[in-house]
Amino acid sequence: MRPTRLFRTTALRLSLLYALLFSLLSAAALGFMYWSTGHYIDAQIKTGLESEAHELLRTYDRGGSAAVRRALRHRLANVTHTGRHYLYVPADGKSPIGDLHRWPADVAPDHRVHNRWLAASLLPTRSDDDADYLPVLAVRLPDGDRLLIAQSMNEAEDMRDYVFGTVILTLGVTVVIALLLGILMGRSVLRRIDAVNATAGEIMGGDLSRRLPVGRRGDEFDELALRLNAMLERIEQLLTAMREVTDNVAHDLRSPLNRLRNRLEVTLLEQRSESEYRQAMEQTIADADQLLKTFNALLDIARAEAGVQQEECAELDLVELARDMGELYEAVADEAGLTLNLTLPEAEALTVKADRHLLAQAIGNLLENAITHVPRGGCVSLEVVRRGASVVLAVADDGPGIPVEARERVLGRFVRLDPARNARGNGLGLSLVRAAALFHKAELRLLDNPSDNGSGLRVELVFKAS
Amino acid sequence: MRILVIEDDPDAATYLVKGLSESGHTVDHALDGEQGLQMALDGGYDALVVDRMLPGRDGLSVIAMLRAGGDRTPVLILSALGEVNERVAGLRAGSDDYLTKPYAFSELLARLEALVRRGQPDQVETQLRIADLELDVLKRTVRRAGRPIRLKPREFRLLEYLMRHAGQVVTRTMLLEQVWDYHFDPQTNVIDVHISRLRTVIDRDFDTPLLHTVRGAGYCLRAPD
Repeated sequence: MRPTRLFRTTALRLSLLYALLFSLLSAAALGFMYWSTGHYIDAQIKTGLESEAHELLRTYDRGGSAAVRRALRHRLANVTHTGRHYLYVPADGKSPIGDLHRWPADVAPDHRVHNRWLAASLLPTRSDDDADYLPVLAVRLPDGDRLLIAQSMNEAEDMRDYVFGTVILTLGVTVVIALLLGILMGRSVLRRIDAVNATAGEIMGGDLSRRLPVGRRGDEFDELALRLNAMLERIEQLLTAMREVTDNVAHDLRSPLNRLRNRLEVTLLEQRSESEYRQAMEQTIADADQLLKTFNALLDIARAEAGVQQEECAELDLVELARDMGELYEAVADEAGLTLNLTLPEAEALTVKADRHLLAQAIGNLLENAITHVPRGGCVSLEVVRRGASVVLAVADDGPGIPVEARERVLGRFVRLDPARNARGNGLGLSLVRAAALFHKAELRLLDNPSDNGSGLRVELVFKAS
Repeated sequence: MRILVIEDDPDAATYLVKGLSESGHTVDHALDGEQGLQMALDGGYDALVVDRMLPGRDGLSVIAMLRAGGDRTPVLILSALGEVNERVAGLRAGSDDYLTKPYAFSELLARLEALVRRGQPDQVETQLRIADLELDVLKRTVRRAGRPIRLKPREFRLLEYLMRHAGQVVTRTMLLEQVWDYHFDPQTNVIDVHISRLRTVIDRDFDTPLLHTVRGAGYCLRAPD
């Protein structure tokens, strides 16, 4: 997997976008944390200053100016520890005490904490502070003395810097991890897609039996792979069926074509009389007509199987169609020495959505099959009955029947169980019936038809009533 | 009659022209839709045979143009497409009949002759007569040499169709389409059986047969010469 290709993939772009969004969100969260930490520090400082002022005021209440001076001296010795600067100015202005050099001009003893600019000249030389805005609290004592407390920000700044550093570090690590995860995820998605691509390539190369790898996670990739595999399965089935059809067509049309060609060739070998030529040509035409019939039957089957014009179907009364077809074939059955019985409901229309011509042809094929296979004196019946929510059209006979194990096979193209008996048939009759059943979404059943002399065949087309 | 064949396949066209000429018709041939339309518009044809798929101008479009101009010449479409909706589309565009390739030449000839004959009379005759065979469409009676003949309803329709096309060859598929209204190709001799029954009724007791079998093509009902 070349890096340039990796960076062009949708999977990676998505991952990177996620990483970016994640980083932005993290930055916002951390920024808020940084801000609220600063806020907390400020509040802490303010409270500290206020409680210190309170403490010193109480000291003053208890012991007056001297006590305050004592307390301040003690505190000034520890200024590096507390980070506080003090200035105590008595009302008479004499002998102030503290580490600040002067009282800042803009600070009034109003008992409130302000951020005030303390110039470098005010600050004690030994302090680490530079001129800066510092939180300052000034109070007026009962005798008119003034006390000023300023908090050095060094410690707070350190704290702030520390938090800031942590935030930046965390953010950096987060972004790097997000990016790495993104790339890894992109690669893993890409690897699965690559597997699909590779398989697709092999299938295009002609190996239709290949299937996509399916993982055990059951995620959408697995689902997609399952779907595609099912699709490939169906395509393979169809192609196999088509190949079989092509093979069958080639086989079953080649022999008659060959016969036809040979007859013409033999006829031309010698000089013959006109009537001989005529006879050969008439036979040739008859053969060609049979070929055309076979071709047309194949086309009809293919058309029905394609099943494209479902919407062309109209409501059709099966009872009327059966009566009509019965009338059409009654004469043929009679001629073959058979009885054709119609069992139709009286005065009831059983309608289904159907293509009249296709269905008529299917019924015709079933009747023709029965008429060809049932010996003289036999009986063929055509029935239409309602069975629950279904309408059943059945053609039954008391002929030789079809063995159970051959029933699936006879639906295939060009299958003739007994070619000697039915030399004329092309083995496409039941294929068309099956295609017509498929077209009408009807169920095709080949059943036993128990009769006095063994078991005949009963073919049922089970339609959903409309 | 004068027939125009519009067909782009030279081999198929050659056979069509030859076959139709030798059947006694005058035949012109156009190789594409544009030329065919021009020739058809110049007029004088009794029937057109139009291939569905043509270079330049499609067969259906040729027919639609002709019909839009008020030309009512009977048209038979030849098509390699046999879908039901194709057939419907062809008839809707104004063609009068539709034949799917592969077809037998005798089928084409019979259908063309039926089309041209049908195109002529404006009023439908109700009393048909061939030699001594009479059929009254309104009274639903049939007589031969004055003797009444009883026919079942379908036999009556079969005979009526044959009498309306007397002297012409009608094919088995034409009969299945016109008398039974089915467009399919039966694998057995179902039509032959009905014809033979009809023949028994109308010809058996008489010296001169009227209903003849035309080998390799179909049937023909005609008066003796």
